[in-house]
Amino acid sequence: MALSTHAIEEIRALPARFPEIRSAVMPALDIAQDELGHLTQEAMSEVAELLKLDPGYVEGVATFYTLFRLEPTGKHHFSVCTNLSCTLRGAVEICDHIKKRIGVDEFREVSADGLFSVEEVECLGACEYAPMMRYQHRYHYDLTTGSVDELIDRAREEGDA
Amino acid sequence: MPEPNGGSPPPDHVTLTIDGQRVSVPKGTLIVEAAKRVDIEIPVFCYHHKLNPVGACRLCLVEVSPGPPKPQTACTTPVAEGMVVRTNSPLAVGARADILEYELVNHPLDCPVCDKGGECPLQDYTFRHGYPTSRVDAPRLHFQKPIPLSGRIALDRERCVLCYRCTRYYDEVAWEQELTVEQRGVESYIASQFDRPLQSIFSGNIIDLCPVGALTSRVWRFESRPWDMDHTASVCSRCAVGCSVTLWQRRNQLVRVTSHENDEIDEGWICDRGRFEYTHVNDPDRLRVPRVAGRDTTWDVALDALTAGLRGRSLGISLPRDVTNEELHLLGRLLAGPWKGARVALEGRTRLPAPGGETLRIAGIDGCRAVVVVASDLADDAPIVNLRVKKAVAKLGARLVVVNPGDIDLDRWPAAVHVRYEPGGAAAAVRGLAGHELLASGPVAILWGDGRGTEDTADLAAAVAELASRVDGRSMPLYRATNERGALAADLVHGVDDLDGCEAVLCWGPPATGAIPPTATFVAVWDTQLRPEHGQPDVVLPAASFAETQGSYTNLEGRVQFLRPVLRLDPPLREGWELLCEIGQRLEVPDMDFAGIFQVQRAAAQASPAFSALADPPAPGPVPTPVLYGPARP
Repeated sequence: MALSTHAIEEIRALPARFPEIRSAVMPALDIAQDELGHLTQEAMSEVAELLKLDPGYVEGVATFYTLFRLEPTGKHHFSVCTNLSCTLRGAVEICDHIKKRIGVDEFREVSADGLFSVEEVECLGACEYAPMMRYQHRYHYDLTTGSVDELIDRAREEGDA
Repeated sequence: MPEPNGGSPPPDHVTLTIDGQRVSVPKGTLIVEAAKRVDIEIPVFCYHHKLNPVGACRLCLVEVSPGPPKPQTACTTPVAEGMVVRTNSPLAVGARADILEYELVNHPLDCPVCDKGGECPLQDYTFRHGYPTSRVDAPRLHFQKPIPLSGRIALDRERCVLCYRCTRYYDEVAWEQELTVEQRGVESYIASQFDRPLQSIFSGNIIDLCPVGALTSRVWRFESRPWDMDHTASVCSRCAVGCSVTLWQRRNQLVRVTSHENDEIDEGWICDRGRFEYTHVNDPDRLRVPRVAGRDTTWDVALDALTAGLRGRSLGISLPRDVTNEELHLLGRLLAGPWKGARVALEGRTRLPAPGGETLRIAGIDGCRAVVVVASDLADDAPIVNLRVKKAVAKLGARLVVVNPGDIDLDRWPAAVHVRYEPGGAAAAVRGLAGHELLASGPVAILWGDGRGTEDTADLAAAVAELASRVDGRSMPLYRATNERGALAADLVHGVDDLDGCEAVLCWGPPATGAIPPTATFVAVWDTQLRPEHGQPDVVLPAASFAETQGSYTNLEGRVQFLRPVLRLDPPLREGWELLCEIGQRLEVPDMDFAGIFQVQRAAAQASPAFSALADPPAPGPVPTPVLYGPARP
C-alpha cells in the first residue's frame, strides 16, 4: 500500500460529501499527492479502489490537470509564474536564480539532495504582486533573489533538522 | 418516414423541414437522425446511433431556424415542430469545412498506408464536405505509432480525431475503463489504463466504431484493401448467441470479420472471439485431403475405411459446437438406422434441458423491468447477451439481480443485488427470490446457465419456472454451444455425453469430452485441422469451415439463422451435409440422395416441427452494406 492509514481514512470519508462519487476523485488525488509528492500508478490504483472507480478513469483525471504531478518532485517545490506581468517584473531571472541555488539545469528536475525542484506555471492570478510563485500551498509575492534565498535557506535548515 | 401522401402524422410526431424536404419524426428525435430519414447526409464523427450524444467533434453543424444566429450541432439538437434545418446553406457548409480543416491539422494524411483508407469517414467527408487544401502550415503533433493496445488492436494517435467513440463505448456499453483519455486539449490522446494491454472480450468493437484509421485490427493489418474484398452477411459460429457478422474474403481467403448490425440480437456489437478467431480457415496446414493410416487418399477409400471401421463396434460420435441443423437432421437418420445406439456428445454444450416452448428473445430483455442472471458469467457464456443486459440496466433502468457463487462481470453495476450460494445451490437460491422486492414489478427476465456443470439443471429449470410464474418472469436458458438448441430440438444429445467405453469414435471437430476415450480402437477425425487431442487417428476427413458451409443454426433464443458462405469450397473439400448423405448412401439408408441443401432443408422441415423454419430460408437478397459507421449511410 502506498498510502498511510490516515490518508486512506480521509479518502474513504470523501464520497459522503458529494452527490456523485466521481466528484471525490480530485480531492482524493490531492490527499494522495500531498502524502507522496507525486501520483504513482500504485497510488492512482489505490484511490480508484477506495472510491470503487476504475483506475483508468482516475488516470484520465490525473493526467488532465497540471496540478497533479506524475513525476517525482523535490520535497520543496516552487511553482513560479512566468506569464506576462511576472516576466516583465523579472520572473525569468528568479527562475534562473532558483535553479542555480538548488543546483539544477532544467525545470522539473529534482536537486541531487532530493529537497528541491522548480517549475514554471501559467498565470496564478496575482499579477499585482508580480513576480510571484506558489510554494507549499501558499502564494509568495514580490519575489526578489533575496526573498527566494531566504525560503531556500529555511527549507535547507528544515532538511538538516 | 417521409409523410405518406400528405396524411397527418401521428400525434407524438413533429414535422420539420430539412433542405426543403418535409419529414415527420417522433418527438425527441435528433436532427441527425431525422436527416437520415430523407437521405440527407450530415457528417458525424463523435455521434453514433448506439452511444449517447456528446457533441465533441462539431462536424454535424447545420443552420437551424428559428434558432441562434450560429450553426448548431445536429447530433445534440432535438427536432421541434416547424423547425427549418439547412445543411446546405453557406453558413453550414462553411462551418463543416472549417471543422474538417481543423480535424486535419494534426492528421498525418498517410492514407496510402492506412488500413482504413477506402472505408474511412474522414477521407470520404473530406472529399465531400472539406476544402481541397489546408491553410495551416504549423508543425503537426507527432506520436509514437503504431502502439499495440492489445495483441489484436493497434492504436495510431496521430490519426485520431478525438471523437471519444471508443472510450464512450467502453464506458457506456461495455462498462469497462480500460481505455481512457489522457492529458488535455490539443495534447490529449487515447491510452489504455497504465498502458496495459486491453483485456475485455468486447475490445474489437472499437475498431468498427473508429471513424478514422486510429484503431485498426492487427489480425487484418495490411492484409487487403476494402475495395479488393467481397463481403457477405452471415452468422457467427462461435457461440449460441448467433450474432450477425460480415465475412470478408479476398482471393478466397477469409481476411476479416466485422459486425453486421442486427437489432434483434447484437445491435452491432460482436465479441472478440467472433471477430478475431477465424484465421484457422486460411491455415496453410489445414486439412484438405482425406487420409487413411496417415496417407493422403481419395474420398472413396477414406469413406470405405470409415464405414468399415465403425461397423460392429460400440460407436461414439463427437459433434462440433457449430454443427448445422441440416447436418443434425441427416445425422439423425443415420442414428435411427445403421448407427443406432451410438452415443453422441456435443462440444461445449451446457447441461441445460430442452426448452419447453418459446423462451425470452434477446431483444425482449430491453422491455424488462428487472433482469436476474443465474449461475452464469454472461460475459463468458453469452457475451453479446451480456451487453444487452448492460443496456437494459444502464440505459433503460432495469434492476439487476445476480445469482452466482462468485463475482461476475455484471457486478460492475454499483446497484446490482448479488445473491450468493454454495455451488450446487442455485435452485434453492432462485426459489428464495420469490417475493423479492426488486422483482415486484415485471416483466422480469430470468437468464440462467448451468454454473459450468455445478448445478442440477433439471431442478434449476423447475425453480426458474416456479419463479417465472410468481413474478411475471420470462426465462432464457443460456445455451453455450452454437447450435445446442438445434441439437436439443433434433433430440440427438441427451443425458450425459461422455464417450467412455466406446470402441469406435467419429470425432467431428475437437473432441467434445476433451480427449478421445482410451477404449477406442478405431478413431476417425473429421475436422479442419488435426489437433494434439486427436492423437493418431485411423481415418482423417477434411471438414469445411463456417465460411464455406451452407446451413443454419438455432440460436439460444430459438431463432433459426442461415449461414452465407463467403468462400468457394475447393475440391476435394466437401460440405458436411454432402458427406453425411454420401455416408448414408454407403450404409444403404433410404432417401439420402439429395441434390442440394434446399432439398435437405425441406426434408428436415417436414420431418420435425423444430426445423419448420428450414422449409423457407430467406433469399440471400442484395449484399448488404456492412455497418461501419451507422446504418443509414446515404
